[in-house]
Amino acid sequence: MEERYLTKLFGLENAYRIDIYLNSGGYEATRKALKEMKPEEILNEVKRANLRGRGGAGFPAGVKWGFVPKNVDKPKYLCVNADEGEPGTFKDRYIMSHDPHLLLEGIIITSYCVGIHQAFIYIRGEYERIAQRLEEAITEAYEMGFLGKNILETGFDLEVIVHRGAGAYICGEETALLESLEGKRGHPRLKPPFPASVGLFQCPTVINNVETLSNVPLIILNGAEWFQKRGLPKDGGTRIFGVSGMVERPGAYELPLGTSLKEIIFNHAGGMKEGKKLKAVIPGGLSAPILTAEEIDLPMDFDSLVEAKSMLGSAAIIVIDEETSMLDVLKVVTKFYSHESCGQCTPCRVGNSWINKIVKRMVRGEGTREDLDNIARLASNILAKTLCPLGDAAAMPILSIVKKFRKELESHLRE
Amino acid sequence: MVKIFIDGKQVEAKDGSTILKAAEEAGIQIPHLCYHPAFAPEGSCRMCMVEIEGLPKLELSCSTLVREGLKISTTSPRVIEARKSVLEFLLAEHPLDCPICDKAGECKLQDYYEEYGFFESQFKEEKEKKSKKVRIGKNLILDQERCVLCTRCVRFLREITKSEELGVFERGVRSVVDIYEKDLIENNYSGNLVDLCPGGAITDVDFRFKTRTWFLRSKESICPLCSRGCNIFIQYHPGFPRFELPKRVYRIKPRENPEVNGFWICDQGRYGYSYLDENRLFEIVQNGERKQEEQGIVKEIAEKIRRMRYANRLKRVAVILNCWLSNEELFLAKKIFCESLKLEKVFFVDPPLGKGDDYLLTEDRSPNRRGAKEIGFSYKPLDFNALQTEVELLVVFGPFLTENFILAEIKSVLDKIETKILFTFKKNDFLRFFETVLPTAHIAEKEGSLVNVEGKVQIFNQALEPRGKSLPEWKILLDLAKEMSIDFNYYRQFSSPQDIRREMAKEIPFFENMK
Repeated sequence: MEERYLTKLFGLENAYRIDIYLNSGGYEATRKALKEMKPEEILNEVKRANLRGRGGAGFPAGVKWGFVPKNVDKPKYLCVNADEGEPGTFKDRYIMSHDPHLLLEGIIITSYCVGIHQAFIYIRGEYERIAQRLEEAITEAYEMGFLGKNILETGFDLEVIVHRGAGAYICGEETALLESLEGKRGHPRLKPPFPASVGLFQCPTVINNVETLSNVPLIILNGAEWFQKRGLPKDGGTRIFGVSGMVERPGAYELPLGTSLKEIIFNHAGGMKEGKKLKAVIPGGLSAPILTAEEIDLPMDFDSLVEAKSMLGSAAIIVIDEETSMLDVLKVVTKFYSHESCGQCTPCRVGNSWINKIVKRMVRGEGTREDLDNIARLASNILAKTLCPLGDAAAMPILSIVKKFRKELESHLRE
Repeated sequence: MVKIFIDGKQVEAKDGSTILKAAEEAGIQIPHLCYHPAFAPEGSCRMCMVEIEGLPKLELSCSTLVREGLKISTTSPRVIEARKSVLEFLLAEHPLDCPICDKAGECKLQDYYEEYGFFESQFKEEKEKKSKKVRIGKNLILDQERCVLCTRCVRFLREITKSEELGVFERGVRSVVDIYEKDLIENNYSGNLVDLCPGGAITDVDFRFKTRTWFLRSKESICPLCSRGCNIFIQYHPGFPRFELPKRVYRIKPRENPEVNGFWICDQGRYGYSYLDENRLFEIVQNGERKQEEQGIVKEIAEKIRRMRYANRLKRVAVILNCWLSNEELFLAKKIFCESLKLEKVFFVDPPLGKGDDYLLTEDRSPNRRGAKEIGFSYKPLDFNALQTEVELLVVFGPFLTENFILAEIKSVLDKIETKILFTFKKNDFLRFFETVLPTAHIAEKEGSLVNVEGKVQIFNQALEPRGKSLPEWKILLDLAKEMSIDFNYYRQFSSPQDIRREMAKEIPFFENMK
């Protein structure tokens, strides 16, 4: 069953406007958090709720906030990762365009919890109209006294700034995002130090995904136990699954974590388009290792997908039917990562371009059996050896495609 | 201190040290390209990865800090495989044009390929096309295809000179290092970029295509071009049989010394080496004729001084010294001219002050003014009037008169003096005003010590053979002292700069701790 909390207002006319948001119980969570709860209580509640990051890595949000040092004489920052660049992913744009105030509430509560007075929303450059909508929502929130000085007369101040990226996938990586936000080239930083201690402008910084923060008001209003029950004990809440590709009803579906992949595709998304046969599914954004049609009977949560040697990532499900050539899939994957590699570290910079060059040759019908072995070898040499997770994000799907669809790929070789 | 194990060997490492540093201190080399001790770890080349027991991934040794009990392998099969693969990636998009590359022979890519690579190329694709000859500075040319994007150059200009002339442009495999718009690198430390570049991407206009690195010999010396006393290597070509080379010294390289110049030298010192070979005086010239023997001439001078001493006319003797002389030479000069002979007219003539920068280059363009001061000279600049009256014998050390006075002025003064003797390493116009001219060795051609602007005593050894009949001034001064037979027992104890240095350490507290 679809359970709608995050997407409650989706489809409602003008739902993004603050009066409609307020009518549906909006900003109650903010009021409760700021007026009735201490920051430590909020932190404990979020920790107990087991809210894991919705950006891709699935790191527990409460634990992340807990890493921020308490007594520092530097300002602390919140950066909202709205760079949503993972191919197949479109959940954050839905939240921001349909329900921007839910995100703002998440920002306000999180900032209050961690002691932050300056938040930035780093939104991908392509989301120009959504950025405008966010600006409008922020203006409304300022006017209603939910942002700015002395919020709800509690003495808590918070400023929110929307910053548009310039169209680089890498800027969704949190440290590259920080560099970009600082006005520099979007290159990932070496970790440690982690942003929680040395982040934006060298100050302690919390970075969370849009969907992650949008869950925070729900936890505050309904409590940690309620939230856990909406998902799994170690993996609380619902998740917005973005289904795209060859299905009858592509779209965003809010479902409990742990819903079966098969059920999502065949029940919620209406099954395969034109009754074609399912060939493969990428279950968590383009970076997730591919699953074959036989492997989709599994619950969609962080741990189950790790067990299936894939990942939940951004929960973007890309459905591939029998008529799609896996060589084309491989071409799209390798072209994307080759194009989006920032070029900072050697294996990702050269490896992805090299693999893409081979695949392009294969598409021209000039591939050999050794080329397939070489692609797998090069991808393994990128895996776990790069400066940031982009290397793995590229190597994992490539390795899985070459391994699971080798026979089909071989049929494209010159022999 | 923490105890760690590298390749099974127990190593004591400083707290807060990185694995790479700790390994280096234990004599274990870990290959690296982007890491440089002058900068914070960058972690981008991925060459320095090591295996740490208990950790699933390979870790960067340049940025991972040591912890008690860490068990590290720099030679495990996984490490070797990872290194090889990084090299394979780097070389895949590298032009492999070593035969025409000036870096060949001292190139990290070459070295590492020989040590950790030796694979067959599996790269069958087309390499990226980039610019091969970008003029990025007065002395610098960039080949973007050879670049491994370690960004040492970018970081040097950001962190050391803070001038930020270089940046990385484009993305992914198309990434290139380049200048912004057309603003060339114009700071006084640009030459260091050539040394920093681990491959042949940045080459030196002054060195490009002049010779091959493996012909060069490298000798330690100290840069005499300002009072900083930067430690350098003089790199010279020993020459070919039956084939004359246009020059002897091909380049100057910085020699690391954290107490003086760190890893760097300025461009003034790097490119200003022409004094070593150009316009050198080879021969002893007396009254326009070439002479073979130094001994005879020094004897004549000694004789002249002795006669003047007996005639009580020593106040008619004037000596001009300079701060390019070593401590040992200045010490001897002080002993002979000021103490044994008690001359009144001892002056200094040095290169005029130049413009300093806020980093290494000082205004003072002489290497040993501080040494002269510590030896006890109260620095007296030349008083032309004092020379014009009642001077019968003038002994000049160094070629610097012409840099301070116009030729006509010098001539009019020197014309009034009966006997004029010049010791110099440089051939120039004013040589003809002197009856006797003797060629001397400069700092690269002798041994001795200098005191830099901060009071640090630095000993240097001979790097090059003296040119022609050139002799070091300490030798000339010693011969002079011995020939004059004044305080003979004192001077005869010396036969080398070390002897003089030992005595100096005994007599002058400042030099007490000199090794």
